[in-house]
Amino acid sequence: MSERVTTSIVIGASSGLGRALATELARKGNALLLVASDLRDLDALASNLNLQYGVAVRALALDLGREADPGARIAGALAGLPPASALLLPIGYSREDDDFSLDAAGIGQLLAINLHAPLAIVHALLPTLAETHGTVVLFGSVAAVRGRGRNVVYAAAKRALVSLGESLRQRYRPGELCVQVYQLGFLATNLTHGMRLPLPAAAPERIARAVVRRLGRGSSSRYLPGWWGSVALLVRLLPWAIYRRMKN
Amino acid sequence: MRGTDMRGYALADCDLSSFDRQFEARCRLQRPDRYRLLQALPRDAPRIARGSGVSYVAASFGADAISQQLGAFDRVLAFNEGTGRLSVEAGARIGDVQRFALARGWYLPVAPGHPAATVGGCIAADVHGKNPARDGTFRAVVEDLELWTGDNGAVAADAQQNSEWFAATFAGFGLTGIVMRATLRLARPPTALVMRRMPVANLADAARVLREAANAPVLYGWHDGRPGRFGRGVIRVGLASDVADASAARMPPPSRDLPEQIAPLPLALWNRVGIAAANTWLSARWCRPGQSPLPLAEALFPLNDARTYFAGFGKAGMVEAQWLIPHARFDDFAGALAERVARDRPRIALIASKLFAGRADGFSFDGAGIALAIQLPAPAESRQRSFLEALAEIAIAHGGRANLIKESTLDAATARRAITDFDSARTRLATHNAGGLHASELARRLAL
Repeated sequence: MSERVTTSIVIGASSGLGRALATELARKGNALLLVASDLRDLDALASNLNLQYGVAVRALALDLGREADPGARIAGALAGLPPASALLLPIGYSREDDDFSLDAAGIGQLLAINLHAPLAIVHALLPTLAETHGTVVLFGSVAAVRGRGRNVVYAAAKRALVSLGESLRQRYRPGELCVQVYQLGFLATNLTHGMRLPLPAAAPERIARAVVRRLGRGSSSRYLPGWWGSVALLVRLLPWAIYRRMKN
Repeated sequence: MRGTDMRGYALADCDLSSFDRQFEARCRLQRPDRYRLLQALPRDAPRIARGSGVSYVAASFGADAISQQLGAFDRVLAFNEGTGRLSVEAGARIGDVQRFALARGWYLPVAPGHPAATVGGCIAADVHGKNPARDGTFRAVVEDLELWTGDNGAVAADAQQNSEWFAATFAGFGLTGIVMRATLRLARPPTALVMRRMPVANLADAARVLREAANAPVLYGWHDGRPGRFGRGVIRVGLASDVADASAARMPPPSRDLPEQIAPLPLALWNRVGIAAANTWLSARWCRPGQSPLPLAEALFPLNDARTYFAGFGKAGMVEAQWLIPHARFDDFAGALAERVARDRPRIALIASKLFAGRADGFSFDGAGIALAIQLPAPAESRQRSFLEALAEIAIAHGGRANLIKESTLDAATARRAITDFDSARTRLATHNAGGLHASELARRLAL
């Protein structure tokens, strides 16, 4: 008997990890709702995944920095698709000037994309996902391991997502909803292209395989790649006098 | 565009090298992953599209241009299973296109030997496939395309709409704009292939055999380039067979594809001893009359088994001189070339021959005649360099046409003599490259 087809929702699907997740999910036979800001990218990806893997793919263009109620738009776009069983939120927006020099509008934009949108989308889709005993996948960042003078708002928002994950796990029993939180290390995407990184960047495809493999397999919180857990521990254990002198 | 300005454009300074290792430069490389980013460069920033960077010459980069790598734009956009029309983004690799098509009962009849070559690159180079006399060049399989041209925005072009732009883009070396997408005309693949081996004693003999087998799906020759044995070899004639073979149309996975970059061996293999050993081995393996089954994938991508061959050129790299000689002059040309080889004794790693039966347009490598691809190691060495110059003179004296996208050592003056309609082709390119927005090292070297 064939497995029941369900829909996975990927927010920020047009590039980087989001695109890799969409591709891996399609390869596994999932129907998809893809969300990103530019319909040109989404349409191309949707056509490709539909033709390559024969899965139903729907595209929804949404500017998370401006959309007042992204959750409602996404919930509405699910009509007619198989039941939603996974919500993945590999979204992240950072700015070079996120170093206490942002004005209120800049802070608002960073919070809108990195925090408000995930919160609103999770809230809107919780009833659907709880019904299917689905999975919510949140993506934090190693940038939030310990506060720094850079990525100030970004890291604060990413750390808040960890709190959101804990709230969800506290509210729902494991059999009702899987909540998986990944703290991502450097990824080899256009955001890190040409940057001198202190540690290697992982291929998004590799991270996507690991994430998709674990869908529906219980709630958890982990670093990806796993060795970043040791790095994060080291950073946390660094004496403050040393840590505050570090540039990166 | 340097320093802090780079953030936001996905730009980085990178060292890029041509596949033949004859030119390298520190360049700005952009890796856009969304349309918005691809089209975000300042309007006056010189640029050039880059696919997989497997062109023998420096066509996709230059010291003064931003290389826009289209690797992320590799998606299948539409496919009509009934007509075989396939729309893809320009960064789609030919190996992946063939895998997609063959799994659905179709294939791309005109494809270069390197599976990592992209559709956009094949258009920009107007590449040829396994038998250009039968199938034409890449322009024969492109129904329409879309370019991003900077100030002119997106330009949709086909044989009717923006037809001049369409024509200029083939063998336009990326100078008419960034090819964004194209619709390809696929064909039904042969059920199976058998490869017939027809030994030849010299290049004139080879030309005769090639002409007689003009309609074969696969048709090319391999020849020994050593003095005394010059031109000996075999014509490989791939014929469609009705004998069903389940593996015939199966493509190997992407992991088997020839990589985009091949690290050179620390010591070059293709000295006189190495070349002699390789030629002796290939002669024993191939130069016997007979025939054997040939998987289509092997016919389509013979370079997949050539990693060691390319690595063996070492750090000094190689050069491929490719000339198309009209039929009426070919025997004389082959004789003059054999004399020159006997006198200069260059090191020639291999010679390949192909039959052409088309009509040259712009800078395209097409016409009616026999083409020779001659690969030499270490082209910077004086003996090798001097032979390449002599080869060009002999070819031009016999009405030869050069393949500009292949040979790194051609200079602008020689190229002008090697393309009969050079000035009109250059003018046409300039007309579709307003302000010289699109630029590359190839364009600079040949003064295009």
